[in-house]
Amino acid sequence: MPYKVIEDRPADVRERIFLPEVIRGVGIIARQFLRNFFLQRDPNPDHLLRRTPGVTIQYPEEKQPYPPGYRGLHRLVPREDGRPRCVACYMCATVCPAQCIYIEAAEVEGDPIEKFPSRFVIDELRCVVCGFCVEACPKDAIRMDTGEHAPPTYTREAQVLDEKALLRGAPVSYLGDPWLKRAAPSIPAAKLEEMRARARPYPQLAGDEYSQTPGFSVRQLAAEAKARGGA
Amino acid sequence: MRRLVGMLVFLVVFPAVLLGFAWAAYLAAGALAGLAVGWGLPAAYGAAVANLVFLMLVFLMIASSGLTIGERKWSAMMQNRIGPNRIRVLGNPLGGMPYLVADALKMLTKENIEPSARSKLLYELAPVVAFAPAFALFAVVPVGPEAVVLGQRVSLQVFNPDVGLLYVFAIASLAVFGTALAGWASNNKLAILGGVRASSQMISYEVSLGLSLVGAMMAYGTLRLDQMSVRQGELLWGWLPALGFIVQPLGLVLFFVSAFAETKRAPFDLPEGESEIVGYFVEYPGMKFGMMMLSEFIEIVVLAGVVTAVFFGGWHPVLFEGWLRANLGPVAFAAVGAAAFLGKTMLLAWLQLVIRWTLPRFRFDQIQKLCWKMMLPAALVNVFVTGALVLLDGSLETLAAVGLVEIAVLAGVTAASSRAAPAAAGHGPGDAHAAPAHAAGH
Repeated sequence: MPYKVIEDRPADVRERIFLPEVIRGVGIIARQFLRNFFLQRDPNPDHLLRRTPGVTIQYPEEKQPYPPGYRGLHRLVPREDGRPRCVACYMCATVCPAQCIYIEAAEVEGDPIEKFPSRFVIDELRCVVCGFCVEACPKDAIRMDTGEHAPPTYTREAQVLDEKALLRGAPVSYLGDPWLKRAAPSIPAAKLEEMRARARPYPQLAGDEYSQTPGFSVRQLAAEAKARGGA
Repeated sequence: MRRLVGMLVFLVVFPAVLLGFAWAAYLAAGALAGLAVGWGLPAAYGAAVANLVFLMLVFLMIASSGLTIGERKWSAMMQNRIGPNRIRVLGNPLGGMPYLVADALKMLTKENIEPSARSKLLYELAPVVAFAPAFALFAVVPVGPEAVVLGQRVSLQVFNPDVGLLYVFAIASLAVFGTALAGWASNNKLAILGGVRASSQMISYEVSLGLSLVGAMMAYGTLRLDQMSVRQGELLWGWLPALGFIVQPLGLVLFFVSAFAETKRAPFDLPEGESEIVGYFVEYPGMKFGMMMLSEFIEIVVLAGVVTAVFFGGWHPVLFEGWLRANLGPVAFAAVGAAAFLGKTMLLAWLQLVIRWTLPRFRFDQIQKLCWKMMLPAALVNVFVTGALVLLDGSLETLAAVGLVEIAVLAGVTAASSRAAPAAAGHGPGDAHAAPAHAAGH
């Protein structure tokens, strides 16, 4: 039973003298005080794992790690050569229910096939954080795995993120990437070998290890934060 | 671990600071007394000036303004919170101490808003009248024993009248004027409700405040606080010092509770109530309010000082007293005694904060019932019983025996109640300490 019924009985003589109960209460509070006075506060952001009581999280200094499925701030996933994986197909902008994504496509010079977004703008104030853009993307080029929420800013304009602000995080290559298969001219030859070597099969399951980018998974960030807090 | 070490260092450093302060106070008193004699004045004048500066301006003001921070930080520790830490010096919150500066700046620079229909003179007078008696009370608190310093016989007591405790009662009852005036002069319904509550509460509790100390006066045969402290060093049956809380346990409880009510703090904080009547100071901005608030904290320190002097052995270090007296010089022993007094005072001030954060506030009829129906009869019984026992045996030994029995009964009842409680409550308030609080339930 999640709660205990406490009988509402009249105070007995001992309670009506009042003093013993006061002394007892003072003892409890004093013990609480002494424990917090002498013992280091456990700053583990996961307060359920704390050794000491108290659940206050000193917010800007301590942050509770977000759960692995958390949809955070968007990022454009880069390739190893630093260009975005995005091929400017407009799928995300089309599916976006808030219509907060704006894309301008451009062609890579000297390559009749490859496209890239010359502008890729997300208005984070309009975004409803539904994650449809991530689902819709056929190239795994946009993700919401940064583990951050939109940071506070002083102006509304600062919440509009362009392709330079969005392009960050660990690079990703898949075996099926067309620019790897056909050796796109946008990639230098030496880089191409490296990218081919690092490429992996496209994830079939959301839980595949490489669908969470190695070194940039929320799970790992959470573990790191936990370890930092525990030290 | 780091914190544990830090706090242990603090427990060593803090008494050392008190000791150094007491020693400096003795030296200053001796020096100024010598100066006064050189000018042809009584030595007591010089010592009084030195004590005024060291005890009232330095110790009392620092302790009480430090308690404003202690109130917030310690309450946080009692409630498993963090407490004030946003103001940082080089990234270190310093236990909230920078808030002293911030508070002072805030109070001093606030806009001076005055109600147009106020009674001009009394409105301005009220904070002063609230502040001054609390401040003046500390004058009779005997912080240190008499000692010969730099050729002059001085003690750490600003003012040592023969009336002693009567001075305490007289000045303490002046404090009610401040609150009543503040309530009336600001011409505000809520303020006057607060003022009326304050005056009725304080005047009620003055009765038991006075009566509760009559027992101690009879037992020690004096009104002077310094002589009360001296007599508490007498040994009963050759080993037990005749401390006030052994001779007069009931008197201690009654005095502590009534003096607590005089400070107008929770659980007796009826004169102020943010959710109903704001308080008698509702129309006071900035430092005028600050003075009323500070006077509450000064009252805490003063109450702790008086309780220490009358009930907890005054400047007697109690532990290792014989050894200290034999092995230290007279000035060093006096300084140790004064440091012991200041330490006891701070401990009692801390205890008052603990009580303030333990108990919920009373309803007004409960306050009056507690005073007139429980404390007043108990105080009267205490007076008669003490008188009879002192008549029977002037050596205090019978009185102390009865006192020890009272303490034993109280301890027994308390222990019995703490055994009875946990089985019933589950997550009730009595059980909160027994379960590992961090494990579940958040």
